[in-house]
Amino acid sequence: MLEVLEQQDVLVRMHAELQRALKKKPEERRWVMVIDLRKCVGCHACTIACIAENKLPPGVVYRPVLDEEFGSYPNVTRRFIPRPCMQCDEPPCVPVCPVNATYKNEEGVTVVDYDQCIGCRYCITACPYGARTFDFGLTYTENTPDRLPFLFGQSNADDYERRANYEYGEIRQREGEKSPIGNVRKCHFCLHRLAEGMLPACTTTCIGRATLFGDANDPDSLVAEMIARPNVMRLKEELGTEPRVYYLV
Amino acid sequence: MNLKRAIYAISAMALLVGLWGIYVRLTTGHREAAYGSYVVWGLWVAMYLFFAGISAGAFMISTLDLLFHVKIFKGTGRIALWLGLVSLVAALLSIWLDLGHMERIWKVYLQGDLGSVMAQMVWGYTLFGLLMLVSLYLAIRNPLSRLLRLLMLIGLPLSLFVSGAVGALLGVEASRLFWHVGLLPVQFPVFSLASGTAAMLVVIGLFGSDESPNRSEQLWVLAIATVVLAVVKLYFLWADFSQSMYGNVPQNVDAVRAVLYGPYWWAFWILQILLGTLVPIIVLAQPKLARHNSWAGWMGVLVLLGFAVARANIVFPALTVPEIQALTTAFTGPHLSFDYFPSLMEWAVTSGIVGLAVLAFLIGEERLPLRGKEVA
Repeated sequence: MLEVLEQQDVLVRMHAELQRALKKKPEERRWVMVIDLRKCVGCHACTIACIAENKLPPGVVYRPVLDEEFGSYPNVTRRFIPRPCMQCDEPPCVPVCPVNATYKNEEGVTVVDYDQCIGCRYCITACPYGARTFDFGLTYTENTPDRLPFLFGQSNADDYERRANYEYGEIRQREGEKSPIGNVRKCHFCLHRLAEGMLPACTTTCIGRATLFGDANDPDSLVAEMIARPNVMRLKEELGTEPRVYYLV
Repeated sequence: MNLKRAIYAISAMALLVGLWGIYVRLTTGHREAAYGSYVVWGLWVAMYLFFAGISAGAFMISTLDLLFHVKIFKGTGRIALWLGLVSLVAALLSIWLDLGHMERIWKVYLQGDLGSVMAQMVWGYTLFGLLMLVSLYLAIRNPLSRLLRLLMLIGLPLSLFVSGAVGALLGVEASRLFWHVGLLPVQFPVFSLASGTAAMLVVIGLFGSDESPNRSEQLWVLAIATVVLAVVKLYFLWADFSQSMYGNVPQNVDAVRAVLYGPYWWAFWILQILLGTLVPIIVLAQPKLARHNSWAGWMGVLVLLGFAVARANIVFPALTVPEIQALTTAFTGPHLSFDYFPSLMEWAVTSGIVGLAVLAFLIGEERLPLRGKEVA
């Protein structure tokens, strides 16, 4: 028992590995996410953290948690599968874009250039994982009553929603029809956090430490160790998309 | 004449409704649309496919007069080109309004990636539209010019390419088994020819000149073509659906089932198959009715109705089947649904585009010298 308690939190280890990876050239890193389905309890904290981090509006989600139920009573079980963007090495969403608005950056993360995207949504139809959503320009506080006696903080919430997020290290306020409204959006492994030496929001928030993140090109990293295990799988491997998100089952 | 007036009035009303829809679209973006992040393409994309099909098909028909000089089709080339041009404008308007950032369409031309099927299609249809415009100008001003023949000669394979590209747009999507059919780019030019033929039945049957000596024969030939193409279309449907069901891959089977037995089964069985295919086959197979202006014209309308529904039945079902089943309940919110029925704003915009296209066609048909002088 004492031995277990004395173990280092994997977050500390991953954080140290992240600092090590950031010293390398971007093209020498291979960001990988490993999700241990045996540890995921389906709390959705990662989903909420992602929404808060990226200030996602209604209808836009980067990391839903799939809830699957198996068997029949009394042999019933549930499985929770967090589903971020798979950051495929052979992404079907990239070649279909008519204006090169979505592409793999030098670190191998599939990104969206909001100023280039025309909003045709072809990439959404091409993604086999449903990992992309369209920003319809909605806000949570829209059409809610203002200044009701018992509704405190409505205007602050409204202000918060419109304040800039920092996706891709860019300052973008939500106003009018400006991007990212009218654009396709997706998980980007929190590149803006990585650039500042922080792990993705979903990783730091995971209460069961089920989500692991790191540089698979570093043989001493936790993720490199995990993806070498025999109980690892990836979603829809038969499609040849080569996802960078691995699941431990 | 009364019919024409009635169509003018209905089209003008449709356009008025459409103006409201376009106003809502331009002032509120896509918020009022029923499509979302799962069913990402809706009515406007289906109508784009529909109008683009008529456009390419009408061009193919125009070559009978302007390139091959088929005697029976003398004098139909210019009206067919006008039909193709108007349909193309309607198609592009429909897809333009579907974009998240309409003001960035120039990027496809100046910063486009020609490796993308969509970019190829945009470039193809732009060239095709320009070619039709110049061809029409020449057909009116100098119908015997060599340049016109050259343009028609280039335009024929181009019309096959652009209509095939629409099929390829869907066909390349390996993640949507319902679309991922190798022969889709081959089927689409056939669909285009069929819808162009049906549109010409309407043009000649309902709006043709009583003085045209070949009108009855033209209707008969177009009717035969419509019947043959309708049978081919049924064969394609059978081949696609039976193989999908036999293969029994859940995602594909679910999409086919959605078409056949889903909440909008009536659109397939009643509008697409019964009214849009079987009734026209039965009527147009009878020479007397096929040569009758009104019968032939209205059967053309029914075939077009069937094609509009068929476009929707290609686009929507593939998207209503979840990529991963548990996605349906994983996260809820606006525009995150796998069910789709167009919103009032979407219907209004489409009604406006149809109204505009019909009005533009009729005004051009009356004001431009599209009939009269025969070519060759």
